[in-house]
Amino acid sequence: MDAQSNPQPAQQPQPTPSPQTAAPATGNGRKILCAEDEHFIGELYSRALSKAGYQPTWVVDGAEALAKARSDEFDIILLDLMMPSMTGMEVLAALRDPSKSQPIRAKIVIATNLDQRADIRAKIESQADGYIIKADLTPSELVGILDTIT
Amino acid sequence: MNTLTKYLHHTQLLLVGVIFGANIVVLLLFFLLSSVLQISSGLALGISIACAATLAVFSGLLVGGAVSAAARTLWQAIMHISPDQHGEPAPSKTVRLGQELIAEATAQLYAASTSSAVATPTVATIQPQTPTAPAQTSTPLETFAATNIPLPVFVLGSDKSVVFANPAALQYLQKDKESVVAQNVYDVLDFSFTGDNTLDAWLATVAVNNVTATSSWQRVRINQPHNQPVKYCDLAAYYNKDNPSKLETILVLFDKTDTYAQVESDISFVAMSVHELRTPLTVLRGFIEAFQEELGGQLNPQMNSFMEKMQATAQQLTAFVNNILNVARVDDDQLELRLHEGNWQQILSGALVNLELRARVHGIQITHTIAPNLPTVGVDRLSIQEVINNLVDNAIKYSGQGKQIAIDVHLNKEGQVETTIQDHGPGMEPEIMSHLFTKFYRNHRNRSQVSGTGLGLYISKAIIDAHGGTIWVTSKPGEGSTFGFSLVPYTQLAEELKNSDNGEIVRGAHGWIKNHSLYRR
Repeated sequence: MDAQSNPQPAQQPQPTPSPQTAAPATGNGRKILCAEDEHFIGELYSRALSKAGYQPTWVVDGAEALAKARSDEFDIILLDLMMPSMTGMEVLAALRDPSKSQPIRAKIVIATNLDQRADIRAKIESQADGYIIKADLTPSELVGILDTIT
Repeated sequence: MNTLTKYLHHTQLLLVGVIFGANIVVLLLFFLLSSVLQISSGLALGISIACAATLAVFSGLLVGGAVSAAARTLWQAIMHISPDQHGEPAPSKTVRLGQELIAEATAQLYAASTSSAVATPTVATIQPQTPTAPAQTSTPLETFAATNIPLPVFVLGSDKSVVFANPAALQYLQKDKESVVAQNVYDVLDFSFTGDNTLDAWLATVAVNNVTATSSWQRVRINQPHNQPVKYCDLAAYYNKDNPSKLETILVLFDKTDTYAQVESDISFVAMSVHELRTPLTVLRGFIEAFQEELGGQLNPQMNSFMEKMQATAQQLTAFVNNILNVARVDDDQLELRLHEGNWQQILSGALVNLELRARVHGIQITHTIAPNLPTVGVDRLSIQEVINNLVDNAIKYSGQGKQIAIDVHLNKEGQVETTIQDHGPGMEPEIMSHLFTKFYRNHRNRSQVSGTGLGLYISKAIIDAHGGTIWVTSKPGEGSTFGFSLVPYTQLAEELKNSDNGEIVRGAHGWIKNHSLYRR
């Protein structure tokens, strides 16, 4: 199930190496914004990311995610699609629209359990740096994938 | 008898025929009378001229009547099948025929418009709108055909370049005339069809076998550049090989974007259900892992096996949820695969990590033999893992007392990479095997003993078909079963790849077939 859900960056469609090889404390203090409205999942991800040496910031709402993301203090943004107040797609669109947001350096990984039609997914992927299905990954497998994002 | 003739008013044709026949009879009668009754040659000539004039009038009526009938029929048919824009709904059975009729009638109108001789003012009277194009440069018919057919119409020459596109067509594609006319039709219209019968395949067939032909396709996707939303339409085509004006093919598009396309915010029931199933699964898998991390070294063997069983079961359920989604996609013609170059040994090993755990908790061991130096394959990693999952899951389910599953990877006689999965379970009767790859089919005798839905092999076949490979099974009662599938080496896809934009090949599982790969060389 591991490689199945590797993020497929738009410019580099080949999946990244297996997360099974992930070593602990690989985060190197990188800052991650985790936008996730499901509390148990947010709790699991925060725990796994902290354990691996990342600095996670967890928000549960789309508008808050957008405000935090605009501060441009993050290396990676883990973005859920179905969130209250603003969907992940709206957050993504706002972050990628030069008239609405300054460009940010963070890599954006969509983390969702919502499967989209191929063309809609392709559109999302073209604006993001990765797209994963949460159910296909355990938290440590997710960390293994984030480790490969530079 | 072609479609148009069927649709023309039979009574009108009959009437014209009767009048025509009657004229000839009258003419012969007068010649007969003149010779028998010794009427002067001058009078006979006069009668002949009068008869010829009558004939000419009736001939004119014939042509005018037929053309106006065609135009009227066309307009009625448009109203008939485009109820959303033009009138009352039609019974669905007639829609396909109606669409082909429109293509054919449009072809005839367009052909007629290119020779002004048959132009007739009667057409103008059936126009529901005033023509907007300047009349001095075109015949009334051409004006009619160009401006008053509210459907996108493309006329193609024998080299498949666009000879004519009406204003509705240009508006539909949001392109100007220069980027459409004289271009290759497939550059103008980037079609995807829902099966192997593409426009290009049809044109290739009719060019060999037919002089004239009509056909239609439903649910055709028109891919748009630069992330513009795709359009969907029904397509009708009329082909005429020996058309003197070199108008070989007429395409008429019936926009169905509203019917076929989902808007982004429109999430299907299946997608929503799958989302709701996956969220608790994510949580369960996460906390099981957290337990293992925290307690890993402290568990006794029994507790450890309990933990592994939970982990394996949560994985299995996740895989099943993915199956539901894929079946819905195949049935809805929306499973789209993206083939890339892949190292098969690496992909297979990755997929087997979770499956080995699933086998282990059932007391089954998986062994694998992978031949060295295999070529890379053209593969969609997400989808092919579903296939491995399903075949190995089945082998686990149907292993019975056989506690070994053997996976073998080798190059077959056709030079394709073949993977076989052999169990040592009870095996199957031959009559069962032919049904295995159909949806919801399960071995009836085993139904009471083994759980399952009969979706796994159905989806696996769809995915392997889309890869251009084959999937098969051999089995004997009492001797276990072997499932196998082949994948095409990546180098064999090089020809297709030359024409792809970004090194990937897009395939449908008896779903969308890109017209592209079939016509470009």
